[in-house]
Amino acid sequence: MNEGAFSKHATRFLMYLFLIIVSLISVFPLYWAFISAFNNTQQILGGAMLPSTHLIENLKNLFAQQDVFTAMKNSFATTLLQTVLALAVSSIAGYGFEIYHDKWKDRVMAVLMLAMMVPFVAVLVPLFQMFSKAKLINSWVGFFLPSIATPFLIMYFRNSARTFPKDTIEAARIDGLNEFQIFVRMFVPMMKPTYASAATITFMNAWNSYLWPKVIMQTNESTTMPMLVANLMSGYVIDYGVVMAGVTICSLPTVIIFFCLQKSFTNAVAGAVK
Amino acid sequence: MKKFVSLLLVLAMGLSLCSIAAAEADGKITIWTWDPTFNIAAMKVAKEMYQKDHPDVEIEIVEKLSEDIETAVIASNGDTSTLPDILLVQDNSFQKFVTNYPEVYADITGQYDLSEFAPGKVAYSTVDGKNYGIPFDAGTVTATYRTDYLEEAGYTIADLTDIDWDRFIEIGRDVKAKTGRPMLSGQAEAVDMILIMLQSCGASMFTEDGAVNFVNNEPLREVLSYYKQMVDEGIFIEVNTWDEYIGTISNQTVVGTMTGCWILSTIMSLPEQSGLWGLTNMPKLVASEGATNYSNNGGSSWAIINDKDFDLALDFMQIYRNVDFYSEILPMTSAIATYTPAKEGAAYTAGSDYFNGEPIFATIVEYGALTPSNITGAFYYDARRALATANTNYLHGGDLDSELQTAEDTVNFTMGF
Repeated sequence: MNEGAFSKHATRFLMYLFLIIVSLISVFPLYWAFISAFNNTQQILGGAMLPSTHLIENLKNLFAQQDVFTAMKNSFATTLLQTVLALAVSSIAGYGFEIYHDKWKDRVMAVLMLAMMVPFVAVLVPLFQMFSKAKLINSWVGFFLPSIATPFLIMYFRNSARTFPKDTIEAARIDGLNEFQIFVRMFVPMMKPTYASAATITFMNAWNSYLWPKVIMQTNESTTMPMLVANLMSGYVIDYGVVMAGVTICSLPTVIIFFCLQKSFTNAVAGAVK
Repeated sequence: MKKFVSLLLVLAMGLSLCSIAAAEADGKITIWTWDPTFNIAAMKVAKEMYQKDHPDVEIEIVEKLSEDIETAVIASNGDTSTLPDILLVQDNSFQKFVTNYPEVYADITGQYDLSEFAPGKVAYSTVDGKNYGIPFDAGTVTATYRTDYLEEAGYTIADLTDIDWDRFIEIGRDVKAKTGRPMLSGQAEAVDMILIMLQSCGASMFTEDGAVNFVNNEPLREVLSYYKQMVDEGIFIEVNTWDEYIGTISNQTVVGTMTGCWILSTIMSLPEQSGLWGLTNMPKLVASEGATNYSNNGGSSWAIINDKDFDLALDFMQIYRNVDFYSEILPMTSAIATYTPAKEGAAYTAGSDYFNGEPIFATIVEYGALTPSNITGAFYYDARRALATANTNYLHGGDLDSELQTAEDTVNFTMGF
């Protein structure tokens, strides 16, 4: 083996070694949460790294303390609806910004981008006041409204619309399609991969959203899974086995969605960076 | 395009109709609190007892974390229409929230008899001489020790009862030498132990007029010097997180623990250690005036919200002056009363099997009644953070005078002075 080939193999070996270590570090919290769902508090605090036999007991306590079915139902319903609404509204906005482009729309877009820089906590109080005056506290409309048109999604669809051939629009207009028909019949089918990526990101964000739902929804019946997990950490005595069982159940849908749409998620992240 | 916009509008209107909003109805009490095994369980008992005599009153208990309740009060910005009739407040935050949102919390002075509650506890929810809170669970400090480890070193619980910190350190040194175990553990930078020691002589981080008081606070200097001595000698071990602190108890690495009596739930959840624990009062300071063997750490109180059904809420809260109520909730929640007559209740006078038949709950209520009050004020947590930094630096060789001065300046800056 010559020196060049050896150095190539050594570099590859080191690269793989590094990637394996980083992967293990990334996966470890998930593994630990999953394993801990099988252990009791003492084993978890003692640093047990292998599963024990307390899963059933933990699940029984979890279901006795919290209404998991309602939280799961609420999480699925709100997440799916929020994803559909956000995609519908933001894609139209992104399309409009790009296709009917002029300098004023650019300025509006710049303002939207600025809004992306403001942390949500900073607008929480005025937003809550607005919704309170509009009698939207404890309502699903109040729940969805702030998240159906996000600057990020609008920017994402606007960037995608740039790749949409203008000739197609001209041809469609000549063929007699109106503007809305062009959007629905031409843009949407051609941009399916963009929609898939945006759906993955929105689903994950919506599933994990905590602060706004917690402030706007004030009844036990509107609890979502992240709220339920937080509630498990509220006491003087924390049953870590139950917490980890809750965390595992809460994480499963996002893990499944992620594995199913892994490719589009990666595209989405890469697209956002581009 | 118009069709699509119309479709969206129809969808939004439809969703509005599905809104789960409920109008404020008379004869209904809404309560926000946290912890299904503790506060919520107690409130459910109160609800059942009240509804026996008032079947028409609807009571809804909503589970909300302490920090979420605080966020909701902040977000309401004084508009109580978005808040419930009753909510639970952490004792250490009570004065801060009443000061910042006076229009939210109802003044119950003279309308609710607080005379039989522990005075130290009532002080947490008293602002400018007015009462805003109905005390609930006690954070009365208990010193709990493993009797088997003490015995191994030749001591009993009686040797650690009614003592001062000099004697405690003497015993701790001896126990450490004979058993290899530190006496106590605590979370570094949480300063729980320091504040417990400070309150035991009625001292606070603030003066009565609300000014921060670190530099000229002699009891604080005495406390910090005892704390440093214990850490330096390994009698007190500092750990990084709350989980590690609990771990020192469950993994049997320390001889005992000294904190609010709510820790008993954790201790009593370890069946293999049943019969091995003893409970007594904490050591007292030596040089400070008003030193006692009693203090407080944690706990919470109920607040009634303004512009709601005040009379109904106040009537419902009379349950918290009922001895039977406290006896009923004790076995299921381990929530110990601050209502002094509760110690006569059946559950309180009965001995605890876990503590070798000792009537520990009645003892804790007695400790609670003897606990001096302290001043928390609106900047309690800011002062606590500054004190934690000063203490850490002091433990690592910093000069006490300059550390206390820096901490005092930091809090003054936050307070706008």
